[in-house]
Amino acid sequence: MLKSMFKKTYTLIDSKYNNPDKTDEPNIPAGLWKKCNKCGQPIYAEDVKCNYYICPKCKGYFRVHAYRRIEMIADAGTFLEWDKEMEFKNPLDFPGYEKKLSAIREKTGLSEAIITGICEINGQKAVIGVCDARFIMSSMGYAVGEKIARAVERATEEKLPVVLFACSGGARMQEGIVSLMQMAKTSAALKRHHKAGQLYISVFTDPTTGGVTASFAMLGDIILAEPGALIGFAGPRVIEQTIGQKLPEGFQRSEFLLEHGFIDKIVPRQEMKEVLSSILKLHTSHPSFPDYVDNLEKSKEDGGKKKSFWQRKIKRSPWDTVLLSRNANRPVASDYIQAIFDDFMEFSGDRYYKDDGAVIGGIAYFHGLPVTVIGQEKGKNTKDNIKRNFGMPSPEGYRKALRLMKQAEAFKRPIICFVDTPGAFCGLEAEERGQGEAIARNLFEMVDLTVPVLSIVIGEGGSGGALAMAVGNEVWMMEHSIYSILSPEGFASILYKDSKKASDAAKVMKITAKDLMDLGLIERIIGENEPACAENLSEISKEMSGAIKEFLTAYLPMTEEELKNQRYDRFRRM
Amino acid sequence: MFDKILIANRGEIAVRIIRACREMGIKTVAVYSEADKDSLHTLLADEAVCIGPASSTQSYLNMERILTATVAMKADAIHPGFGFLSENARFAELCKKCNITFIGPDADIITRMGNKSEARKTMIEAGIPVVPGGKEAVHQVKEAKAMAEKIGFPVMIKASSGGGGKGMRISRSVEDFEGNFKNAQMESEKGFSDDTMYIEKYIEKPRHIEIQILGDQYGNVIHLGERDCSIQRRHQKVLEESPSAAITKELRSRMGEVAVRAAKAVGYVNAGTIEFLLDKDKNFYFMEMNTRIQVEHPVTEMVTGLDLIKEQIRIAAGKPLEVSQTDVIIRGHAIECRINAENPQKNFMPCPGVIKNVHVPGGNGVRIDTHIYSAYQVPANYDSMLMKLIVHGKDRKEAISKMRSALGELIIEGIETNVDFQFDILSHESYQNGDVDTDFIPKYFPDYVR
Repeated sequence: MLKSMFKKTYTLIDSKYNNPDKTDEPNIPAGLWKKCNKCGQPIYAEDVKCNYYICPKCKGYFRVHAYRRIEMIADAGTFLEWDKEMEFKNPLDFPGYEKKLSAIREKTGLSEAIITGICEINGQKAVIGVCDARFIMSSMGYAVGEKIARAVERATEEKLPVVLFACSGGARMQEGIVSLMQMAKTSAALKRHHKAGQLYISVFTDPTTGGVTASFAMLGDIILAEPGALIGFAGPRVIEQTIGQKLPEGFQRSEFLLEHGFIDKIVPRQEMKEVLSSILKLHTSHPSFPDYVDNLEKSKEDGGKKKSFWQRKIKRSPWDTVLLSRNANRPVASDYIQAIFDDFMEFSGDRYYKDDGAVIGGIAYFHGLPVTVIGQEKGKNTKDNIKRNFGMPSPEGYRKALRLMKQAEAFKRPIICFVDTPGAFCGLEAEERGQGEAIARNLFEMVDLTVPVLSIVIGEGGSGGALAMAVGNEVWMMEHSIYSILSPEGFASILYKDSKKASDAAKVMKITAKDLMDLGLIERIIGENEPACAENLSEISKEMSGAIKEFLTAYLPMTEEELKNQRYDRFRRM
Repeated sequence: MFDKILIANRGEIAVRIIRACREMGIKTVAVYSEADKDSLHTLLADEAVCIGPASSTQSYLNMERILTATVAMKADAIHPGFGFLSENARFAELCKKCNITFIGPDADIITRMGNKSEARKTMIEAGIPVVPGGKEAVHQVKEAKAMAEKIGFPVMIKASSGGGGKGMRISRSVEDFEGNFKNAQMESEKGFSDDTMYIEKYIEKPRHIEIQILGDQYGNVIHLGERDCSIQRRHQKVLEESPSAAITKELRSRMGEVAVRAAKAVGYVNAGTIEFLLDKDKNFYFMEMNTRIQVEHPVTEMVTGLDLIKEQIRIAAGKPLEVSQTDVIIRGHAIECRINAENPQKNFMPCPGVIKNVHVPGGNGVRIDTHIYSAYQVPANYDSMLMKLIVHGKDRKEAISKMRSALGELIIEGIETNVDFQFDILSHESYQNGDVDTDFIPKYFPDYVR
């Protein structure tokens, strides 16, 4: 090899090394690079600033100073700060607290660990509060609690939504028991805000733990989180010490909380402003009802002629209908949601245990009116079906549905449910978590909702699992859907002791749309010239959309009492 | 003048720069990846620093490692060569911040010229002829189609950030437009995360003519004549020569004058190249400007007698140009063949491997720029170019004979190369008659461009 065979012109003894006066030597100026605390790679500070404080290499999130966060979220020049200067209080006369605080005030230029005020987000007015981790880990003492309470009270009074970016180590130790009380104080203010029908969006950022998680941060009508944020009550170290075990990777991170049903959505920082403004818009744009109904009536969509398909040439047996209702090519709830509604924003979680993939729900526009849409969702392939549990909801699915319905009620949105399930999930875990209770609770609560509720059976209406989302002012079925007490196979095995006689059972069970219509149990049938599939989805959706229009035209003008009574009577006469 | 220069590149260009530095009495620092520890530039430089694993993003494209190495080795300047960070404005800017001289133009010039729509706009403003076509960037098929119809088919669909033929398609009619546009856009989005496209008139059978310019920090700009790079395969240059058989003295001075005007319009400093398309009626249109030294710079060196790398270093060190336009005289004819580790029979698939044996040609007017040697392992991670074989003769005919002779002597054993393909090009009657355009390879060697 050629190694060290070449003659070189240079040896390491160089005059420059002995020349300390030389000032224009190359050097890397301090602060040019930052070290990413996630991946350890050096990164160019300018890149980080221009990239929402996200590491360009590992995509890890840096903590953001409160004012920078407001710049990212608020429209330029619209932020007006409230309660900037807070009087110092040392309720426990904690030694050294004042000195520590004034040092931090000087270092950060902040007077407390949260900044509150009013701003516009893409033109939507909102009260905003942002925690700043540089200030004693943004712990919540009297001043933080007070600032939040005041901001929320003012928002309630001025009928404005509240957006709080949480980030905190928890309570402020130096303020002891007084700090603890801030949890109740902030929660109390938010309860009044909620009671007044006003929106509160909470955003978890890294890290949010302790008393802040266990108070205002978890109380959002809608709870968002940045990816990978640590969110928990007890800190991971404390848990590890207590149980003497290592915690699994990803424990207490945003994704973990999403899976466990505690947050609605993980939103990347770049999209946060857009998502927030969309949510705000969904909660503020209320076309006045008479006008809206007028406009709806004028729009061209037609609900189709009822019963026109009674004279169809092809006569299908009930068993054919059963098979069609289960057909893998049949559009699922999300297909109809996409086809009929605009800007669907999905929300997750039951706030108790889990996010159930078998139920999807969220808010969308129907001809400009925000509505809550919930559907039992089947998958289209094996992988998808595992995620969706073949459309069989668990208790957490029903609880998520109920949570979203209650939310709709709070913000006076009509509710449209798509029913498509072989039945509620039948399994050990489902029983442990109270499948029966979850279904019963939905029946109990749905009948009393003060907003219009429409349920449409689009495929299989499997027994109690379907009914738990079908206590509506009206219930409709698609021409090739079924709605039954039990699957024909189950029926046959009980009555005929032979599940193979399912097709005979289907005949006697009265489970087709026509049967239910004849029994007076449903109000409408959505026709299918050909069995629903991807090709005729838009045609069918058009008819469905027209029918929903007629439903809203009829029910939106009704009072809360009328809606509840109509629903009560509907089931009372069955 | 600089004490020490770090070469932020590899392969033959790094070797070329090290040699120039050595002649100027400047110490050299090579940076190398783990795959290049036995590469010639590593062995040849006065000092060498390993900057990471084989993958370019981890080594030759890793700005902070290169800057750290520069500071640690106390080098005053960085020569970026071509490719890698040579046209990276961010890198040029960082060098400045670290008090290191970037041997090349300023960051803002790189930015302005690197963005094709922006560059075109600048040139139109400076009164430089450009290819007729969409001045505005497009993103949507519909808009683009309307634009194409207005310009008139055939049109060229180009990605704003594209290069090396990526994100580029020719559409001959409305029927094939949509598919071509979508493909080009997808390529650009994948390769450069940018879906900005533009549409321009496709010039049929053009020659690719580029003018080498040099500009110093005092506003002096000269041109060094043209290079004809029409022999291309999928927009990759294969063989270059200077002067071009199609260019008269009068046209040369006209194009040169335009190139100088273009460079002055942006306040260009250091070596750069203005690329033009020359149509069969000798109309020329600005295509783009390359703000770096080019692979094919040796042909210009051979006919002008100037050392472009040394000029680059001198300009970066703040020296004024020593030659004026009148001093630039084109003598004889030079041809360069790029010798690549690739298999022309297998769609020019790169063929890395161990070079068992090398025999290089020599003699009067034969120049070899290479980093290979016997037993050298060609890594799979980088560009497949192994060598540039350059000849200089008194006229084009002599240069062709010399190149054919040299190619015949060039032996590289152990891996596949395109030496025979180059020999075939030089033996082709049309080439020998100087009848070439950018369609030369597809037209005469269709088997090679399937």
